[in-house]
Amino acid sequence: MHLSLEELLAVRDNEAGAEAAAHVASCAACAAEVERLRAVRQELAALGEQRPETDLWQAIVSAAAAQRQHRRLAVAGWLVAGLAATFTLAIGIRGGLEAWHEATLARETKQYVAESQRLEERLRTADVGGGVMSGQTAGGIVQLEDRIGVIDAQLARAGSQRYPSKEVLGLWQERVQLLGALVNLQTTRTAYMGL
Amino acid sequence: MKRGARAALDDLVLARARSGDADALERVFRHFEAPVYTLARRLTRTPHDAEDVLQETFLEVVRSISRFRADGSFAGWIRRVAASKALMRLRARESRPVEDELSDEVADTAPAPPTTLPERLDLEAALARLSDAARAVIWLHDVEGYSHDEIAALMGKTASFSKSQLARAHARLRVLLAPPAEDVCT
Repeated sequence: MHLSLEELLAVRDNEAGAEAAAHVASCAACAAEVERLRAVRQELAALGEQRPETDLWQAIVSAAAAQRQHRRLAVAGWLVAGLAATFTLAIGIRGGLEAWHEATLARETKQYVAESQRLEERLRTADVGGGVMSGQTAGGIVQLEDRIGVIDAQLARAGSQRYPSKEVLGLWQERVQLLGALVNLQTTRTAYMGL
Repeated sequence: MKRGARAALDDLVLARARSGDADALERVFRHFEAPVYTLARRLTRTPHDAEDVLQETFLEVVRSISRFRADGSFAGWIRRVAASKALMRLRARESRPVEDELSDEVADTAPAPPTTLPERLDLEAALARLSDAARAVIWLHDVEGYSHDEIAALMGKTASFSKSQLARAHARLRVLLAPPAEDVCT
């Protein structure tokens, strides 16, 4: 009777009991399997390191600065103004079907921007001033704020685009989803505190 | 931690980074960019998710580095933040395992079963075909050097779950990496 794979892994990792170790010492098939598992581990560790295709440091710096200064509303407002001005200009210059597509994209984007602002306003009015919250809730809020920070950095990078794009629309959609989740967390927290 | 073996950051750089020095923070990022991205890429599979995890990790590093206690492993802390962010992303994604076509009842005992796959995959491709949980556990355990208890804490599961996922991952790899069956001429 051979050892199970879980037992063989425990032998490989020096976590097995004496009985399993003794079996491997006396069973050629199991000993070979333990060696094979060691070899797989070495091959995995030898897989090369990978690097992102783009340099993300500036985006991180931008997002961190936005978080630190609690300027998310201001950033969003600047983006809204920038987007609106860009879209108006682009649609004025170009005509026909292309402009219609751009107008549609711009309209949808503006809807998400407006929804984003509405949710931010809710967050601001729901702020209960740093009261007690569970570790899980605090962790969830941090995770969501980090994601929003990343989205804001990506929106800032996309802000130089002259025309509305599906990419920007997608970013705003994701931002609204994240803000919605943040509002739900805050709402739950407020209800929990009886406020 | 096995992959923490790279040269340690200069203590002075670390001290400057903890005080918020922008150049030092960038040096910290450059030092850990590849290992964090690699970890994220192995766990989440896609470049897009891995880049997001890299950004989220260093957002937290920049925000919290001043509170990092010098008596701990700085590399270990950053990797733990990255692993946590990547696992959080996997949970949010709730993706369907990509090896669905393979049976869950892969033999769990030695010796290795014969393969029915037409071609032998290389290790990188085979790793990508594991379920999210199995891939995360085998990478965190066998490469990053986390214990089953540590993985359990990171994933919000039990050590038994981690052990069974590790065994499952190796069982899958055994099948995926097995040489193709030879053609039989009649």
